[in-house]
Amino acid sequence: MKAGDSVDNKYFHSVVLQEDRCIGCTSCLKVCPTEAIRLRDGKARIIGEKCIDCGECIRICPNHAKNAVTDKLSILQNFKYKIAIPSLVLYGQFASKVGINTMLTALKNIGFDEVYEATIGTEIITKVIKEKILKEDKIERPLINSSCPAILRLIQIRFPDLLPNVVDIETPVEITARIAKRDAARRTGLDISEIGVVFISPCTARVTSIRNPLGIEKSYIDAAISMKEIYGDIVRNLNSSEEENISTSTREAMEWSIIGGQSKAIGVEKYIAVDGINEVIKVLEEIETGRLEDLEFFEGMSCVGGCIGGPLTIENPYIAKAKMRGIAQELPCMETCEEQLEQYLRMYEEGFIKLTEPIEPRAIMKLDKDISVSMKKMEMIEEILKYLPGLDCGVCGAPTCRAFAEDIVKGENQKSICIVKTMENFKKKKI
Amino acid sequence: MDLIQYSFNVEKDDFDRAGEASSNIKKILRQLGIDGAIIRRIAIATYEAEINIVIHSLGGKIDLEVDPKSIKVIAEDRGPGIANIELAMQEGYSTASDKVREMGFGAGMGLPNMKKCSDKFEVESVFGKGTTIKMVMYI
Repeated sequence: MKAGDSVDNKYFHSVVLQEDRCIGCTSCLKVCPTEAIRLRDGKARIIGEKCIDCGECIRICPNHAKNAVTDKLSILQNFKYKIAIPSLVLYGQFASKVGINTMLTALKNIGFDEVYEATIGTEIITKVIKEKILKEDKIERPLINSSCPAILRLIQIRFPDLLPNVVDIETPVEITARIAKRDAARRTGLDISEIGVVFISPCTARVTSIRNPLGIEKSYIDAAISMKEIYGDIVRNLNSSEEENISTSTREAMEWSIIGGQSKAIGVEKYIAVDGINEVIKVLEEIETGRLEDLEFFEGMSCVGGCIGGPLTIENPYIAKAKMRGIAQELPCMETCEEQLEQYLRMYEEGFIKLTEPIEPRAIMKLDKDISVSMKKMEMIEEILKYLPGLDCGVCGAPTCRAFAEDIVKGENQKSICIVKTMENFKKKKI
Repeated sequence: MDLIQYSFNVEKDDFDRAGEASSNIKKILRQLGIDGAIIRRIAIATYEAEINIVIHSLGGKIDLEVDPKSIKVIAEDRGPGIANIELAMQEGYSTASDKVREMGFGAGMGLPNMKKCSDKFEVESVFGKGTTIKMVMYI
């Protein structure tokens, strides 16, 4: 989608196309897990309704034409008190000898009054799932993590029957933002609206979810800056001032953003942790058809490796993982006293950190509201398919021959033609 | 009358592709706008039927028929047939080999599960020839 495209305005997306760089190569068509991209007039177009902001197209684009719209540093001017919450993934982006406090001090010096680690949010979500949600049977099994916004949007579209399985608790970052803002308001006497929380994001889907939240009315995060974009500023600031003692990180928090870390932290035995959106789709299919009995917890992350593989990170996910594992070994384990646990559970029960809004299914696969009309359209699709070569070459602008036929039947493609068929017919005529 | 028909071949011993028919059927029904709960039941029943053909038969096919009121799934195979249908309908009864069971199949829940998922359920089997299972779900 072009930024500001009026047709799709109700679907804000972080993932956008820089049209001048797109050469219409079809790479992104093929990797999109929701078939949300078409080529029109030689340029990729993102169908806003279908895009889940997973960022697969950003990763694959050989011309760097796919990008993410995130906030700029100038947004800090809007606030009297500025808090940065870096994704914990940040710690895997530097040379091994750079300590956490060095990174956080450098980040703070960019222009923040405070840097708040997402550790607290991680601890709370871990404890609430472990001590409450897992012990009750209010939510269907297997429980599905709510922490990956791309997976949540995928479930809305492709696995709506699994929505009742999603745990109804906010993500570590949102929880941390709420606590950081509340604490800062108390400490400074400022109004909540004067305090800005900025997330340093490895994730395009999170950027979208901050503007268009799922499961909550409004995010406490005011802006998201791409980790890639702010990285240079952090690097330049490293060791430029005296190091502050900011970090409160724990081993569990560090591992949370790496695939398997959530399951390990909540200590559940029968779990499956899956990374990479295509593998997630396969396992969700199995869960949907009831083939994975006795499963208690499903941890699904859209990116390879988990959040460390986010499209807005710099370091290779496997290298980042090794670095973070190294850092994690030096850190203390999470320790929560009874009093804190009670406080966390109260926050959940009172709705402060709970998903209070329903996550609705989005039946965008449906051909028509009326089943008879759907059936007619389906017949037409099958009829058109008989005349298509089935090569799924993408030259027509649709990712597969089937998608091409669907677009025609839905009236979404008036112009493009099948080159392969046209050429075949042309050859026949010549003979 | 409005009617949509599809047919999917299922090969003997093709564990790798087992699940393809049910997965395709699920996609079709989703596009038609069928209620999610019904799709789930059909997917479970179809998968059981599909895996039965893979394990027990010499091969067969799964047909899908959709009209605006109901969905029919017909699983038809060539093979040994079922010697005793009454016994086969009992939960936990299975003729699967130890090898198949080691792979996690053949728990004896196939037919009972299919029946549970359908509004109408019929098994016809000719010993030594093959089996046909008809399942109907009302929309």
